[in-house]
Amino acid sequence: MLNLTRNLELSFRKIDKPLYKAYCNASQGKHDEFKALNIRNVKDHSHSKRSVKKTQVLPPRTNQMAVDQDWGSVWPGPRSFHPATVPLPIRQGYTEKGAPPPDKYANAELMKIPNFLHLTPPVIKRQCEALKQFCTPWPKALDTMEKINKHFPIEVTSSDYCYSGPSIRDPMARIVTLRFNLKSLNLDDRAKDKFLRLVGDRYNKETDLVTIVADRCPLRKQNMDYVMYLLTALYHESKKIEPWEELKSQADMEYYDWTKHASKTNVEDIFKCKFEEIPGIDKFSDAVSEYMNEGENEYTIKKYGEAVRTLLQLPFSKEITNKPL
Amino acid sequence: MNLPTSLKIVSNIFRSQTGMRFVHMSPILEKNQAGRYRTTPRKNFPLTYEMANPPHQIAHRKSWNSWNTSNILGGNRPSETAVEDLFIRKFIEGTWHALFLSEIIIKRQHNLIRIAGLVNRGVLPRKMYFLIGYTEELLSFWLQCVVKMEIQTVADKKDVIFKYI
Repeated sequence: MLNLTRNLELSFRKIDKPLYKAYCNASQGKHDEFKALNIRNVKDHSHSKRSVKKTQVLPPRTNQMAVDQDWGSVWPGPRSFHPATVPLPIRQGYTEKGAPPPDKYANAELMKIPNFLHLTPPVIKRQCEALKQFCTPWPKALDTMEKINKHFPIEVTSSDYCYSGPSIRDPMARIVTLRFNLKSLNLDDRAKDKFLRLVGDRYNKETDLVTIVADRCPLRKQNMDYVMYLLTALYHESKKIEPWEELKSQADMEYYDWTKHASKTNVEDIFKCKFEEIPGIDKFSDAVSEYMNEGENEYTIKKYGEAVRTLLQLPFSKEITNKPL
Repeated sequence: MNLPTSLKIVSNIFRSQTGMRFVHMSPILEKNQAGRYRTTPRKNFPLTYEMANPPHQIAHRKSWNSWNTSNILGGNRPSETAVEDLFIRKFIEGTWHALFLSEIIIKRQHNLIRIAGLVNRGVLPRKMYFLIGYTEELLSFWLQCVVKMEIQTVADKKDVIFKYI
């Protein structure tokens, strides 16, 4: 009998534990349906913390990139820096004590700065090639700046402003600037004089350029029309001769013209001939005109004296011969 | 103490018989404190690179967190841009709660707003993709601009720490 019970016990041990437990009356530990009341609030470690399931993160793409890959397709457009996409050992940041600058991983400074990784030279070349079909060749006849200025004398400038914001409109884009060479209008002396009086300080004497700026209308097209209207009106107004313009006397002239003044007649009286035939008259007329136009200063006075001496064939003074102008 | 006596005492505080004033004011301590952190005794206060450099180092050691053309000379709508940037920061702080480990970088190009920053991998990627779409959609509706989130995820919070003070 004793032998039998022992055999039974041994055979039970061989059976799988869960099966054995199912037939057993003893407490089954943490899987027990009826939990013991925890009065003293003793910590029970049977309930383990819920394990946070970590998602598998792939290694950075840069590990798999081929050396001869097409970078333009990896980084096709502008975007913020991402270390897993850029296979360059970039570092940015300031560190003290000779430590290396922070590397590209988790580096916010690299994300802040604008990058041009989408505009590498091969990509620019490719884009230019693609744009070529929309371009027309430059006219062969317009090979020099002189020819360009001759055939296209008017230069219109307006600016497009690229601002960040929901609207692309900018109030400053309405301003239109018109620039042209005064020579290209082919005005005679009288009309040119009137034109200059009309434009005032919009004419640059050194470059012979007239600049008209229009910004009074709200739209660029309106300003453009206005500027062209101004040009037309100026041209025709300066060509027109009003009856009161005939009353302009020598005193109203804005500059000294030697051929129309008493100086010329006096010289002709002295030499008893036409002023073109007198030797050294060019120098004299220049000197007189300069003296009257520029005003009295040391230079004009000296030049005038020298011209008079040349004209009248008088000896030069020592001072002048020592210091020729 | 009746009222006239107390008034007399008060007036004496301000003006003694010798004509001196007894109320003293110390000069103003013009000390810059914004954006600067104090060292802790155990030197265990973590700082990111952004925090480690005080504001006067902007454009020297660190750059701006907002990039736009509103603050250049003659730029348009500077006040609107500033308020919008503040709104974006607040919105993202609430939407991506405790996920952003860096400052929120806002870069504007034309009508495009790029929002960049370092994000902790605290939530599932699926949720993060949702948050990206949610933020982009709502912000672009409110700001009437194209909004793009360009985030970089970081495995551990300690990755962004530059030094301890």
